[in-house]
Amino acid sequence: MELSFIVIDDSELDCFIARKIIEHTDTNLHVQTFQNAQLALETIRKNAVVDNHVTTIVLLDLQMPLMNGFEFVEEFEKLPIEVRKRYVVVVLSSTRNNKDIFRILTYHTVYSRLDKPLTREKLLSLMLEAQLR
Amino acid sequence: MSDKIKILYVDDEPDNLVGFKASLRLDYHILTAINIPQAMSCLDNHPDIKVIFCDQRMPGITGVEFFEDIRVSYPLPVRILLTAYTDVESIINAINKGNIFRYVRKPWAEADIVSAIDEANKFYMANSMLAIKNDELQKAYDELNKFAYSVSHDIRGPLSGILGAINIAREIDDVEEMREMLYLMEKSLKKLDTYIISMHDYYSLQRGELKIIDIDFSKLLDELKPIYSVMSKTNNVEFNIHVNQHEVFRSDEVPLKLIFNNLLSNAFKYQDKKRSNRSVEVTVEVQKSMATILIKDTGIGILGSHIGEIFNLFYRANSQEVGSGFGLYNVKSALLKLNGQIEVNSVMHQGTNFKVTIPSI
Repeated sequence: MELSFIVIDDSELDCFIARKIIEHTDTNLHVQTFQNAQLALETIRKNAVVDNHVTTIVLLDLQMPLMNGFEFVEEFEKLPIEVRKRYVVVVLSSTRNNKDIFRILTYHTVYSRLDKPLTREKLLSLMLEAQLR
Repeated sequence: MSDKIKILYVDDEPDNLVGFKASLRLDYHILTAINIPQAMSCLDNHPDIKVIFCDQRMPGITGVEFFEDIRVSYPLPVRILLTAYTDVESIINAINKGNIFRYVRKPWAEADIVSAIDEANKFYMANSMLAIKNDELQKAYDELNKFAYSVSHDIRGPLSGILGAINIAREIDDVEEMREMLYLMEKSLKKLDTYIISMHDYYSLQRGELKIIDIDFSKLLDELKPIYSVMSKTNNVEFNIHVNQHEVFRSDEVPLKLIFNNLLSNAFKYQDKKRSNRSVEVTVEVQKSMATILIKDTGIGILGSHIGEIFNLFYRANSQEVGSGFGLYNVKSALLKLNGQIEVNSVMHQGTNFKVTIPSI
């Protein structure tokens, strides 16, 4: 199965790290990074009509200005099921706030949560899980 | 207005009211009421009544019942019962329920009343201090919660980024790629540093007394100018300062500098990169003991729906990662200390104007 990535994080460094780790893991993986969640959402909406079999893993930060991770998930869940099923939303954050972590995991489109920083090990096990899903 | 303690005396006998007022009015501000409706309107019109004396035996209602009725709606005044009768049961009951502070036997001796007022006033002051301290404590708790929340994002965030960068550094061979990463790491560390400095500003603003000195705005801005001149040159933003001060202005330099620094760094930081004639303009006008400071930029502007929130702690209206969410909150705290005001006018893609007015202290 083919995999691609969308990284949503307001921190430029964190976007860079995620991109590098993904690209160093497999040069064929396609990565898009967004510092603004709204733009990521628009891209997902625009690609709604594309009919392909690529599964996209969305690495989503929680605390972001303008549109935070929660607001992104709220909007994402309004998309039709045919679109949603092509994405696996994984929260990637540095938060230690349990209330936020539990709250984000109550959304059933949120697949799991990873603690920052992203490492190759975390990425590999995530890719494996996404493919077995 | 006198600073005399305000006292309300409720009794159905006019002679008692007159006598009470006559003997105490020199030292206290005495209000009297001959019935319950009058007493209620007194309480409504004078929220600063500190002590209420009430006769126990009145037509239709006892003093104990009256105190019980007003206890919830007027919790602040200290309640003292006056009684000629030895209604021991009802008095003990009322004291135990907390409806009255103490009682004075009728006919009263002036010394008893004075000592009762004295004690009641101390009790009142202690209670109001407690209420103020409780509010302050609640505010401190709320802010502590916000801090605890921001720690993982604003401190742990940049650190985990740098840690992640170190992890992948082992696999990067390309020098250009490495340089790009070092640049981003530096940016992340600078952000963390800014956060820590702002946190320090925040604490020094919360504590600490004002140190009032004569302020010369031209001199003050000359001290700040070099930092912003560098920004002005490197980012190609015109920087102009006009000061018009012909009178003495007294204030605290530290919060003043903080206000200028935050507003100026924002003015430079949020410039519209696509635009050609970029500028930041500062005007200070001191007149009639009032300083009016205008800071105008040609920046990206603030969306109308965000303007109400920009002074909140940790609020960021922009997705560029430069902000810590501290700056304007600190500006507002500094203005609160200096008794100043701030107004914002902003047009998207045109620029933002901040107008600050501060009185000389």
